[in-house]
Amino acid sequence: MRRNPTIFSYLALAVAAVWTLLPIYWMLRMAVLIPADISTYPPPLWPRHPHIGNLLNIFGFSYVTSDGLLLRAAGQSRQIISGLINSSITAVCTMIATLIIVVPLSYVFGRLEFRFKTALFMAVLFAVAVPPVSTLIPFYSLFTDLGLTGTRTGLVLITLTVTVPFVTWMLIGYFRNLPPVERLAMIDGLTRWEIFFKIMLPLARNGITVAAIISFLFSWNEYVFATTLVNGTDATTLPAAASGFLFQQPEPGHMAAAICLSMLPAALVVFFLQKHIAEMNLVDPVR
Amino acid sequence: MAPPIKEHAKALSNFQFALLLTLPVLLFLVVLMGYPLGYAVWLSLHDIQFVFGRMRVEYVGFGNYVAVYKSPEFWHAAWISVRFTVESVILTIAIGLGLALVMNSRVGRSRAIRTLMLLPWAVSLYGAGTMWFYLTSGQTGIVTSLSYWAGFDRPLNLMSASSVVDILALGNAWNLAPLVGFFLLANLTTIPQRLYDLAAIDCLGAWGRFIHVTLPPLRFTLFVFTSIATVLSLRLFDFIDVMSRGGPGNSSTVLPYLLYDISFKQLELGYGAAMSFYLLALIVAATLVLYFVWGRREEAR
Repeated sequence: MRRNPTIFSYLALAVAAVWTLLPIYWMLRMAVLIPADISTYPPPLWPRHPHIGNLLNIFGFSYVTSDGLLLRAAGQSRQIISGLINSSITAVCTMIATLIIVVPLSYVFGRLEFRFKTALFMAVLFAVAVPPVSTLIPFYSLFTDLGLTGTRTGLVLITLTVTVPFVTWMLIGYFRNLPPVERLAMIDGLTRWEIFFKIMLPLARNGITVAAIISFLFSWNEYVFATTLVNGTDATTLPAAASGFLFQQPEPGHMAAAICLSMLPAALVVFFLQKHIAEMNLVDPVR
Repeated sequence: MAPPIKEHAKALSNFQFALLLTLPVLLFLVVLMGYPLGYAVWLSLHDIQFVFGRMRVEYVGFGNYVAVYKSPEFWHAAWISVRFTVESVILTIAIGLGLALVMNSRVGRSRAIRTLMLLPWAVSLYGAGTMWFYLTSGQTGIVTSLSYWAGFDRPLNLMSASSVVDILALGNAWNLAPLVGFFLLANLTTIPQRLYDLAAIDCLGAWGRFIHVTLPPLRFTLFVFTSIATVLSLRLFDFIDVMSRGGPGNSSTVLPYLLYDISFKQLELGYGAAMSFYLLALIVAATLVLYFVWGRREEAR
């Protein structure tokens, strides 16, 4: 007996939309403001002369606004472009590695009872608790010894220390809720390996997709490790490259454009995969 | 009559199978986390100074830990961290629940709307920090704009010493809540419509429906994400570094920020490492308390 949407539910939707979009709008607006308007008082609520100069600038093109103002190409444009490439590669590699590690791990913790389970689980959770700030210096010296600073491999490895425990933690509950099909499968004579690969993996595809999204975004957006380990090298990622507009040479327009740019792939991933999150718990073993 | 391979594989005990699947991972974790942690322990037991670019190391035992314990800046930062975390977690869970309910209502089901609701989580912490900085600071903020149109002529700074922690928590919740919302939504979609019909027969009001039908299946997820939000907020660094840089003054200097300042700017590596173990202890204690007060009960259900 679902009633028709009331005025209240539309109101709630409007509030949620404003809350979600306001900070993003404010930044988008900055990306298209002319330089004079960025520092004006009071800050304009909407751009009067929107232009795409900032976006062109960060890709290394100069731009002339309609009233003849020359906006020079950003000096870091090469870093932005290689940042895009590096971020994509690291994020995809991190995603694949995280999945290979996390799916068996959370399956085991979610569905099997065995000795030392709590102890092993605590070991994984402990890895979550370690703040990146406290392992940065040791990591830095370790990676210098191994020659991994300034490489994408190093960045993937270090990002795994964050994604693996977190995604495991999120997925354990999911695996616990899957229907209890193992007994039936064992009676049918399937081995544990067959159960895992042929039954659990297909059954858990929504959850696995969610794990993929989460680890991709974690890596795509990773900032602390990236600025310390790869900033200024050939392996610079997009967030590290964009931070140059904030700290080294303040250029709010460029920075806003860079941030909007970095949101784009993330938003696409979310758009195509969000259905899996919402349907994560709807599992039909017969299908 | 040797048993075939298949028989043997089937006979794996849970423990053996679990080890086979998890041991490589655990080894990887131990090596990757163990070395830095061990190194941090070593650092924390030494006084390390840089003289003309050379490192001078002196063993001081627990001296660094005592120094941290006696330092007022540590206790100030710890208090700010706790305040920031409590506010963040409450806001994250409340907003996440709100978003989940909106997305589960009839008007919120379209793909476009759900993508839109998840969008803040696709923004990096670094991007979110920048957005919220420009949104709330006095010179560039929206409140200043709006108040100007309403007839006031003075910049209104939300990031003042008294309110900066609240604004930081709000921004953190903005970034984190969509993830919570989606996991809650996944639980909401499994509630059979039948239960709501029964609730209608029992003449439950909107509040009663929420408490007795909607909430129970969400409880375990709520617990897990309360813990996750607690850990993430306690160790949050980049967002705060970009948005407020610990300021104004030291009014938003949370522990990770203070740690970064001590280890990277002042290069007091031993002292910083010792402080990082206090932070680690705080995080572990917070999760354990949550687990024993709340989580154990939910797991038993």
